[in-house]
Amino acid sequence: MMVFRVAKKEILEMTRSGQFKWMLGIVVALSVVAIYISHVHWQEKNLQRELAQEDARSLWLAQGATNPHNAAHYGTYAFKPQFPLSLIDPGVEKFTGVSIFLEAHSRNEADNVAAADQTGLSRFGDLTPDFILLFIVPLMIIALGHQSVTKEKEQGTLRIIKTQGISNQQLILGKWLGNYAPVAILTTIIFILAALFIRQIDWKFVATMWLVYLAYFAIVNSITLVISSFLNNSGISLVILLAIWIVSCLAVPKTASSFTNEKHPYPTRQEFDAAVAEDKKKGLDGHDPWSEASKKLEQETLQAYEVSKLEDLPFNFDAFRMQKGEEHETAIYFKHNEKLKEVHQKQTQVYRSLAFLSPFLPTRFLSMSLASTDYSTHWNFADAAEKHRVEMQRVLNTNFAENSKLGEWSYKADASLLSEVPEFNFEAPDFGEVMDANKSNLLILTAWLLGSFALLFFASTRV
Amino acid sequence: MLHAVNLTKKYQENLALDNLNLVIEPGDIYCLLGANGAGKSTTINLFLNFIAPTSGKAVIDQIEVSKDPQAIKKLIAYIPENLVLYNELSGLENLEYFVGLAGMKYQQDELVSFLQEAGLQSEAFKKRVKTYSKGMRQKIGVAMAIAKRAKVLLLDEPTSGLDPKASNEFSELLLRLSQQNVATLMATHDLFRAKETGTDIGIMKSGKLVEQLSTEEINHSDLEKLYLNHMNN
Repeated sequence: MMVFRVAKKEILEMTRSGQFKWMLGIVVALSVVAIYISHVHWQEKNLQRELAQEDARSLWLAQGATNPHNAAHYGTYAFKPQFPLSLIDPGVEKFTGVSIFLEAHSRNEADNVAAADQTGLSRFGDLTPDFILLFIVPLMIIALGHQSVTKEKEQGTLRIIKTQGISNQQLILGKWLGNYAPVAILTTIIFILAALFIRQIDWKFVATMWLVYLAYFAIVNSITLVISSFLNNSGISLVILLAIWIVSCLAVPKTASSFTNEKHPYPTRQEFDAAVAEDKKKGLDGHDPWSEASKKLEQETLQAYEVSKLEDLPFNFDAFRMQKGEEHETAIYFKHNEKLKEVHQKQTQVYRSLAFLSPFLPTRFLSMSLASTDYSTHWNFADAAEKHRVEMQRVLNTNFAENSKLGEWSYKADASLLSEVPEFNFEAPDFGEVMDANKSNLLILTAWLLGSFALLFFASTRV
Repeated sequence: MLHAVNLTKKYQENLALDNLNLVIEPGDIYCLLGANGAGKSTTINLFLNFIAPTSGKAVIDQIEVSKDPQAIKKLIAYIPENLVLYNELSGLENLEYFVGLAGMKYQQDELVSFLQEAGLQSEAFKKRVKTYSKGMRQKIGVAMAIAKRAKVLLLDEPTSGLDPKASNEFSELLLRLSQQNVATLMATHDLFRAKETGTDIGIMKSGKLVEQLSTEEINHSDLEKLYLNHMNN
């Protein structure tokens, strides 16, 4: 009961202070603007994606009767869906690209990278809800709470409080609640506002993301009160808390990123391309009938079908060879992309192991993961696109092989073949998968939460 | 009600309070006089459990202060030289809050009656404390003591800086509380107020209680002479 009395007084005092009104006004205004801008961008990008996807499919089908291998080279696009919660947390979307060109013989990287079209100012970050939640709200907590206890010491009210009968723990918990309540309400308003704009909302994801941020703010609030409890001067408390904010929200993520890149570096684009080209040389090129690998395939195929001439095979050997070449190239791309994925996984492991350094990191990872805008989702998208490309080549090459003769490059498949290539569809991981992949982040965030409460309890004995 | 038994406080080599023995009964107003650094505030702080004694004990209502501080808090009310309240809250809200921290819950009309009893003008009840004079703030302190039904009042120079009228009003409040059997220990520099209000006077010098007397035993001028005599020796 006393805890709530302290909390009520804190809120009452806060709501009457001009500083609080200004701060809340600014953060609410920024949040509304961030959500509105994100909504407009989300809609624009979604519309562009839908139109581009329709166009790509129309262009694909509009080829009409065509040679299957020409169609394979003509190619089409796989588009990454615009996930609903990317409105709150766009994650790494800006840097990863949203579409992949699917064509014969090549596994392409994602294209249409938003960051590439932006000015240098974009390095300072966009005004998005996740920016408000991850960076601005903690600052607000610090601004509100840094003098929560120090002011009582400075003014002398703490001496009066100490003669009343309330325990230190009750006092600090009341202050914690009083400082946390406006932040929790603000966070809830941000999520409700964002949810109003989100289409096909999955409440499990939204509610979990909301809880993750509430936990993050609870940690920041506890740390703020710990510092305020230990110190006797509001100015020093503010400076120390700002330093903690800089280290936690800026320095640690940047350092962790540099450290992981240093420890497990990705190959450069040139190195990657050179390694792929080297491997390709060692195997079958579907377009080169004179290579050693082609001649070997020719011999093996003639033997297998017990014929002496390629013309006697029951299919078009040119198309057959191209499919085999495609399979060889797919295996090479798979091998080299698996190496990249391995680096990514090692980097993720290191990154996650550093998450104990700052509550910002597990919160950031969980938020992106729940929004399906993290690197893992992007890798899944790239893998799904590659799988689709391989299937597309198989359908086209099989048709070519089974319906034409050797050397019949003028063969044109019926336009209906193009419809046999299914439309690309990519689904975000479900809730269980996301939680499973983020066990360590959940664990670290919980540890931070419990640890900060334990520290708060300890600090309350020192007031 | 209040007992100091060989109460001593040392800060390293500095003896802030030296073997104080004191008895204050219910209804007594005991005024501690002395120069700055004489040990008056140290005595108050020891009864408040803000500091721990080096030796001896401070006892309130037969409870040793340092052994059960929570029990002591229920019995005492404390008014410092400058009672700092929350400026953004009204007098009524401040009273409700502090009394609430003592675990007591009152209706609005009860709180109003406490403020009236403490002599605060009714138009000030709902005004923010930042507009209050020092005398008005001290009255909130008295209202807190009344609301808390404190058995012991610990006052650290509460009339310092008050104008004569406010100081006189404060003395009257103390006398009223004394009639309700509240035991008061007041540290003060004000000899006149001590003689007018107190039942007993103790003069302190360099951490020692060098003189104890009843206010009935002495007049104003003799008290002044006695005080100066102790200060000059």
